[in-house]
Amino acid sequence: MEVVNPRSALLSNYEVLSLLRELESDNLLRTKAALRIKKEEETANGAGSSLPLAGNPHLEASENLRTIEVEAIGYLSADYLPITAQSEDGITKLVRGLAPYNLTKAEKLQIVNLAPTLPVELYVIVEELEERFGDRIDEILEHVQASLTSGPKESTLTNGINGQTSYTAVTEASVVVQEDDTWDEDADAIYDEEIFDDTGAGNGVEGDLEMDED
Amino acid sequence: MFCLSILKDTVAIHPSNFGAPPEDALIAEINKKYANRVLHEVGLCICVFDIAEAGEGKVRYGDGFLWYKVVFRLVVFRPFTSEVIVAKVKSSDEDGIRLTVGFFDDLYIPVAYLPQPSAFDPNERAHFWLPDSALTTTTELLDTPVAERMYIDQGEVIRVRVESDEFCDDEPGPPKVTEGVQMKHEPKRPPYVVCCSIAEQGLGPVAWWNGSTQVEEGDEEMEQG
Repeated sequence: MEVVNPRSALLSNYEVLSLLRELESDNLLRTKAALRIKKEEETANGAGSSLPLAGNPHLEASENLRTIEVEAIGYLSADYLPITAQSEDGITKLVRGLAPYNLTKAEKLQIVNLAPTLPVELYVIVEELEERFGDRIDEILEHVQASLTSGPKESTLTNGINGQTSYTAVTEASVVVQEDDTWDEDADAIYDEEIFDDTGAGNGVEGDLEMDED
Repeated sequence: MFCLSILKDTVAIHPSNFGAPPEDALIAEINKKYANRVLHEVGLCICVFDIAEAGEGKVRYGDGFLWYKVVFRLVVFRPFTSEVIVAKVKSSDEDGIRLTVGFFDDLYIPVAYLPQPSAFDPNERAHFWLPDSALTTTTELLDTPVAERMYIDQGEVIRVRVESDEFCDDEPGPPKVTEGVQMKHEPKRPPYVVCCSIAEQGLGPVAWWNGSTQVEEGDEEMEQG
């Protein structure tokens, strides 16, 4: 391993969050695809063919990646950070609006990350704010305010770690629902097949139960 | 908070992953190695951003792996000095306050970087600040009425300035005897520590400066006292 450049560019929180979200949905799709392939293989084997389906192998996301992904998304989408009210267009507009103020790169990055709406917040980020900008402080704050959407988006709004768990729960639920859909298509046929494929001891019990119900 | 680092490494792809597109397989392999790891003088790696260059996969004598020379960009958590970040209070003790940002929790505020005058209240297990007070010694501060104190409680959202960061690369010592002898766990230094400050106007619990939630806090303390 060799470090070519430890800090080649700075990233805003928004960029990192969208990258992580993309990664998560990618991973979800892959898991779903792998599940489907596995199922197809199972039914194929049940029908008598022992030929495993050749497909692309499932690249599993490592435990470390999952951990940091979930935790970082949890932090970045917490309600005390402004990300839920930010959008790509808003940030682009904000950066353009800030261009004439001679702010340093780091100051602009922090304004984008923290979206200060109060003067006191801006004082912390920008050095010697008063001497440099005087009465233009309010202008800067207006630019920031304009870049934020008024209401946080409900769909992406997650609240800390608790919110995160519910978020993953929701995605898991959607997987389950999708599976149910496929079940329904030709429900009985596949269901019977699955029961006979099952080698477990629960197989017979399940059948008995169904008989009782009838 | 986050930046991109360019790294170069040789990555091995297991034959079972030959069916996948090489780019995906490489990214998965790099993520497996680097995600959630602290690299010395680089920072805490989050995940791969993209692959800049990758050579031809080569097979070496002795195993069936394909070895790629790869140049890639990583998303790394490394706040720069003087950056302002928002974090949560994880715990407090006599030496200072420990903060967390969810995926990383070795952010510390030493006592010297607390707003003055302040003191640690051992009953509440929290530091407090007495604004506009001439008192200096801890005993004097602990004698003040509780209602006047501005506490920095656990779980509070707090705005801090990064003052410095430090990497520790502790070598693992010689192997210890495990049979019959009790293993003694030495306190390990965290590999990456960020030192923060709240000794400045506008820093500290976000609620202090919004001017809205202070009333609630006062009520709480009245009830406790």
